Amino acid sequence: MLPAGIFYVVFFAIPMLCLLGLSFWRAKGFELIPDFTLENYHKIFTSPLYRALMLRTIGVAFATALIVVPIAFAIAYIMRFVFERRGQLILQIILLSLFSGYLVRIYAWRTILGKQGLLNSTLQWLGIIEEPLEFLIYSNIAVVITLSGLLLPLAVLPLYSAMLNVSRDYIEAARDLGAGKLHTLRTVLVPMVIPGLRTAFAFAFLLSAGDFVTPALVGGSQSMLIGNIIADQFRGIGSNWPLGAGMAFVVVAVMLLAYLSVMRLIRWATRW
Amino acid sequence: MVAVRKILPAAFICVVLAYLYAPIAVIVIFSFTTSPRLSMPIEGLTLAWYANAFANPLISTALRNSLVLAVISAVLAGTMGAAFAFWLVTIKRARVRATLLTASLMPAIVPLLVIGIALAVLFRGIGMQQGLLNAAIGHVLISLPFVVLTMNARLESFDFSVLEAARDLGATPSRAFRDITLPLIRPSVIGAAMLAAALSLDEFVVTWFNVGNQQTVPVLVWGLMRRGIDPSINAIATVLLSVLVCLVVASNIINRKKAK
Repeated sequence: MLPAGIFYVVFFAIPMLCLLGLSFWRAKGFELIPDFTLENYHKIFTSPLYRALMLRTIGVAFATALIVVPIAFAIAYIMRFVFERRGQLILQIILLSLFSGYLVRIYAWRTILGKQGLLNSTLQWLGIIEEPLEFLIYSNIAVVITLSGLLLPLAVLPLYSAMLNVSRDYIEAARDLGAGKLHTLRTVLVPMVIPGLRTAFAFAFLLSAGDFVTPALVGGSQSMLIGNIIADQFRGIGSNWPLGAGMAFVVVAVMLLAYLSVMRLIRWATRW
Repeated sequence: MVAVRKILPAAFICVVLAYLYAPIAVIVIFSFTTSPRLSMPIEGLTLAWYANAFANPLISTALRNSLVLAVISAVLAGTMGAAFAFWLVTIKRARVRATLLTASLMPAIVPLLVIGIALAVLFRGIGMQQGLLNAAIGHVLISLPFVVLTMNARLESFDFSVLEAARDLGATPSRAFRDITLPLIRPSVIGAAMLAAALSLDEFVVTWFNVGNQQTVPVLVWGLMRRGIDPSINAIATVLLSVLVCLVVASNIINRKKAK
């Protein structure tokens, strides 16, 4: 067998199964007690705190996807159909921003959006506002702005590759047959790039739901997400590994379900 | 009138690029300014934050650890990923090939948080204490999909008939690999390995759950960030940023060269 295959099994497949198994165990202090109990899942589903966090996580992830996917779509469209020859260059520049430090980019947003940060101090310096805008930082808005910046490059990639496969002729044929711009977009272009749209949405939606660094740095106590609670279960005071493992699986399952329903909705919207 | 029609799309691209690069510009600019607070107007320029950052006793340990992890990732993810991609393209049945490729990309789709805690559970289960080795395994795992993906794209245009020709002329498989295959794919492997190094240098989440009390550059930066605004973060970040950008641009150029 190949080394990479063995590596994947030992350090990816088996750990995932261990995590699943652990979610049925119990924790007593720092000790893990083998068991087969649904107690953790019961706790997750009945606790109002976890439910609120889960809903907020879905909301933030959805808002992020709603910003990221249309912008990425427009960018990909422009790269493909307006600046056709420079498309690859623009793509490289966009993707390069991914490699400028993950923590650094989040931290930079804190310094831009902060109460005495760049945006507020500039606006005050210019005399546009008197008092700093406080909603900019330690809020859900800050989390969404930051996550959108982090995930946008990832969403452009699949949409652009999908559009490369769409011939200009189809768009022109639709227009020649009298379809309006919006109608062409909805019934011709979007259905042809559905695979790219699906991947872009998955990146934006699923990855923002799993991010705990962004809420920890730019979100306040009122904008913690479920990822923060999971991280705390593994590296915090009063940690509870089995409970955290259960939460991780619930989050992944809930997000997958939400993702599939949105995909169904998009497909339905392009039919009529 | 073509130009006028393109003004709006061009403006849109510029606004989005500004959104993506504003944070990076802010970090770089404020790593050189005298005022410790990031605010306008800028008062003066200094290199003090760089001196400050490198006076931190933890930074040399963190740098050394990060470099060790990056080299391990580059070598292991590079060779294993390349071998895996090479094996993938030789599979005749397209269905099996596509399934295996998708499966090998899974670690890139699962949130890093989940990968990080799953590995922590495995290591705890087998009684392996948290540390650099654990983090290294995590780094190789998250780099592998990217190596497989870039290698796969390159190998799809690989001309396998040259290998057959070598065999027909009497070359043993190992000789054919050494004299024909390796020189042809070496640039792609090096490019992919550099990408793996860049991913490793920047990795925080999986590291955080597995590295224990050891330091890496992102773990150190995280600690500083949690403590509040510290301008030496900007200095460390700018250094890290330069290294990452160099690695990725070089990886791209090396990869591109072979595509011709």
